[in-house]
Amino acid sequence: MTEDLDFDPDELAMLRQLFRTEAHDALEAVTTRVLNGGSTRPNADGFGEMMRVTHTLKGAAGTVGLNAMVELAHRLESAFALLARESTPWNAACADAIVEVTDGLRGYLDQLPVDPAGAEATADRLRQQIARIVRAPDEVDEQRATDSLAMPTITEAADPDPTPEPIVYAVIDPVSDAVAVPEVKSYLRVGPERIDALMSSAGELLFDRTRIERRVQLLRTLARDLARTRQSLRDAIGDPSTPPRRAALVETEGELAGQAALLSQTTAALLDEIEALRRTIGELQRGLTRIRMETAKNLMTHAARTLRALRRATGVRVELRTFGEDTEFDKAVAEQLFDPITQLLRNAVAHGLETPEERVARGKAETATVTIRARQDGNLLVIDVGDDGRGVDTTLLRERLISTGRWTTARAQLATDADVLDALGTGVSVRGDADELAGRGIGLDLVRQTIARLGGEVKVTSTPGRGTTFSLRLPLSTSLAQAMLFKVGGQVYAIPAVHVVDSTLVDPGVTTTLVRHEHVPVLRLEALLGHAGDPERKPGVVVTFAGKTLVCTVDKIVGPREIIIKPLGPLLAPLTIYAAATISGSGKVQLILDPAQLVRRAYPDAPDGSLGEQISAPMVLAGRALVVDDSRAIREAMTSMLGREGWIVDVAEDGARALQMTRQLRYDLVVTDLEMPELGGFDLIAHLRKDDRFKATPIVIITSRASPEHRRRAKDLGVRALVAKPITRRKLLEALTAK
Amino acid sequence: MPELRNVIVFTIAAGRYAVELRWVREVVTLGFVTEVPTAPPALGGVCNLHGTILPVLDVGVLLDLPAGPPARQGDGALVLETDGITCALRVDQVDHVASLVEHSGQVVDAAGRPLTLLDPARLIRRAQELVGAPPQVP
Repeated sequence: MTEDLDFDPDELAMLRQLFRTEAHDALEAVTTRVLNGGSTRPNADGFGEMMRVTHTLKGAAGTVGLNAMVELAHRLESAFALLARESTPWNAACADAIVEVTDGLRGYLDQLPVDPAGAEATADRLRQQIARIVRAPDEVDEQRATDSLAMPTITEAADPDPTPEPIVYAVIDPVSDAVAVPEVKSYLRVGPERIDALMSSAGELLFDRTRIERRVQLLRTLARDLARTRQSLRDAIGDPSTPPRRAALVETEGELAGQAALLSQTTAALLDEIEALRRTIGELQRGLTRIRMETAKNLMTHAARTLRALRRATGVRVELRTFGEDTEFDKAVAEQLFDPITQLLRNAVAHGLETPEERVARGKAETATVTIRARQDGNLLVIDVGDDGRGVDTTLLRERLISTGRWTTARAQLATDADVLDALGTGVSVRGDADELAGRGIGLDLVRQTIARLGGEVKVTSTPGRGTTFSLRLPLSTSLAQAMLFKVGGQVYAIPAVHVVDSTLVDPGVTTTLVRHEHVPVLRLEALLGHAGDPERKPGVVVTFAGKTLVCTVDKIVGPREIIIKPLGPLLAPLTIYAAATISGSGKVQLILDPAQLVRRAYPDAPDGSLGEQISAPMVLAGRALVVDDSRAIREAMTSMLGREGWIVDVAEDGARALQMTRQLRYDLVVTDLEMPELGGFDLIAHLRKDDRFKATPIVIITSRASPEHRRRAKDLGVRALVAKPITRRKLLEALTAK
Repeated sequence: MPELRNVIVFTIAAGRYAVELRWVREVVTLGFVTEVPTAPPALGGVCNLHGTILPVLDVGVLLDLPAGPPARQGDGALVLETDGITCALRVDQVDHVASLVEHSGQVVDAAGRPLTLLDPARLIRRAQELVGAPPQVP
């Protein structure tokens, strides 16, 4: 029944990837809620939210045909429903079991595309784990749940009709389910307003281009005029035998003066326009940086999970306090920070904290506290990881620095405590013994290296008896890019990877070489960068730019790396061969070569590229549709289905947003879910029907709760059709053509 | 009227120099200095300062004196900032911070010994001339 899903394999893969992203977030939200609560029981709202999240997950999983996930989400939702009853006991074990399941489900979703057989075993294990969440698993109506997958425990309370209409989720043959679904890369989720800002910058670019093109047109005319003036000058001078005609010369001089004035005006205007272009490009760049921003929330949740695991492994009594969860920074940076934070927490638990007895003896609270604080400081992102433990003994650290031969006695005596603390993690540890949790020296080394690679630094402050704080200071925005790294004359250089297509070997002395059956010029980088050539065969990096290919000889190819692009600053700007620089893991600056300049050097006569593309004509529309659903996967699926029918589709994630959108635009079709945060489907429809513009607009409800009561309400509101999830194209088309 | 100036006094080669404190952002020990091929000798290289790229200048070349030794990791340097340009000046030794008295263009230290008061804006302008005119069009 795969065809019932009606997506081609690529699209299905994309939708499943979207679903995975969405599910990860949803499950993370449940985890966060439980972790933040500690051992306290979530309140009714908390459980309601957890149930809503799992319910949405169930609907979305059905739409992308992941039936086992539908069933697991259903079981989890039922478990939450049972827990939500006041009579069901709650303890810390429940919280742990939930985190175990939500983490397990995320692992299951990642495993599914790569190892379907293994995933089945995981699903079995998850079923048992879900059953263990509630103390009395037999209270869950398992039989009914698996038979119909209708909504047993939840809907009954709200639904006056005790026989909910069964919804049969598409059953996919497990074999065909596993085949030919290509894996796609992960997606970035971006708020619409950030995309809007980018679109407006892109629109501005078009204006900039038009203005500059017009100016170039003017310059061409001017060049023609100048050629004409030169001709009249020639005529006026005449041949060597006759004297020049003075009147004609004066006239030509007048023409030249006019043209010179026009040329200087045009140049000035062009420079202004290029300045405007530069500003627009800057905006575009900043906008692009912003879409990669995310809040510190994920990082904090990661820390909470890590500390929880440490607490369980060691029995250390410690709690986590977090501040600045709203601090925004680059998603790529956030991911890189997971390991350093884990390391710092391990360090705190292994070395920083005293035993409860010691703490009490010193008049401290028995339970230790680790604090993570994220904030912006100018253009820096600062993350402080601090404990309230014993602090670092700088006297001991000084002794270790001397005894390991890293510092001379004189230097150790001259150094301030801050200098000594800065030496922590450069291969020296406060503890002599190695231990299983964290070798402080080595672990901190890794933290320092990771932060240095991101262009930042680590500062340590410590007060004996009061605690230690590690301050990670990073640039707020970093542009990460893929680059090819290679060595020339003992230094490492980089070229953006998009311009590197291949590598090859180049014979000594040749000026061209064969790349993919074509002769391309060879640029000797060692000569360009001021080093002596050598008579050996050398590795070559094949570079393309603007349709031109060349081979750059290098001493050694280091390989592809993800690098952070750093501007070189105004002083170095005239050295056009360098586009920018990057900083290596050990803190060294590496220069990035500009492929445009390399091409220019290899093809000195090539004319500059011409501006030539046309803007594509707008499409003819069938109509404008609004899709309202809190599941992104379903929104995407609907957009795709309707799009293929020629609809232009807008989406909204809940009723409130949809209502806002309908105030600005008229829609020819509204497709909405029923259960959504903020404003539900029925309320949305009721509001729309009060608006004259939407009195007769076709409305289709998509839902997993198609009870007779729902159908009756839908009919009262003049809804054209009510379609049970999962949505297939056939069902949707039937609904659209329904009378 | 004699003018009082807060300066930092330092030594490069045999010369003693001073720069007004307001232009000095930091006194640092240089990290690894990366060579910049095709750059003029006034530019000793670039290094990483708190995650930004810092050009390292040779004062000798900028003052039309003999060039100093190449800047290396571990050398002392003053980080100067004027007109939005930040750069490092390699120094042999940072002596002290002092208040100087200026008598009709002649600057002397507490012991009455003369010093060369450097104008960072002028040094940077000179460096820009040597590296090349800024490009007209990106």
